[in-house]
Amino acid sequence: MSFSRKCVPFTPFDGELAKSTVALVTAGGVHLKDQDGFNIADELGDLTYRIIPEDVNAGDLMVTHHHYDHSDADQDINVVFPIDALRALQQEGFIRGIARKHVGYMGYTMQLKAMYEGTAREIANEIDKGSRADVAVLTGG
Amino acid sequence: MKGIPTVLITVSPEVSAQMRPPRALYPNGFKIGNSLGKPNMRELQVQVLRDALSLLTQNTRPGKIIKRDYPDYGEYHEPPRVKT
Repeated sequence: MSFSRKCVPFTPFDGELAKSTVALVTAGGVHLKDQDGFNIADELGDLTYRIIPEDVNAGDLMVTHHHYDHSDADQDINVVFPIDALRALQQEGFIRGIARKHVGYMGYTMQLKAMYEGTAREIANEIDKGSRADVAVLTGG
Repeated sequence: MKGIPTVLITVSPEVSAQMRPPRALYPNGFKIGNSLGKPNMRELQVQVLRDALSLLTQNTRPGKIIKRDYPDYGEYHEPPRVKT
């Protein structure tokens, strides 16, 4: 499916947040410490992504990214990947659940077509079918 | 393909606007690297996230970036401008 460059890709949300499961997708280069980091030596950027499980401890996450100052994320990953904030919203009943899978990738790329046609589709598939999220919150850095 | 309802939190609203995000929140003056606020300011982070998710139930115009103020952030950083 291709879009006109002037289109806004919009999927309506007809549900209730209190009955919804939320996934996080961040371009801030977030990944588990025991996963491979993103390739910051490649001038073209890194087109890969990492799956982050729902029960992750914030302390098990880190950032590999050379296109923004992530010193604050190094202290508290929630500033770019708000997993604990999301848990707080679940506890207060604002949302029903946290998706099984979340995604971290490195949004910096010079290969826009490959990102758009490849990585983005794969991430969408993970979020849609792999994690069965009702909605996704996207962040950069 | 049904699609997935999404909302973006951006600290580069002019840059993000070029991609016409369906829904987007710009916490006013937050610097790059602080999409949800500062480290360990959990209440602020929760508020930003709550406001972002709330856009899903509001009748926002697709492609429009909603700017909200969060005085507790305590700083103002000019976002990157897009040269036209």
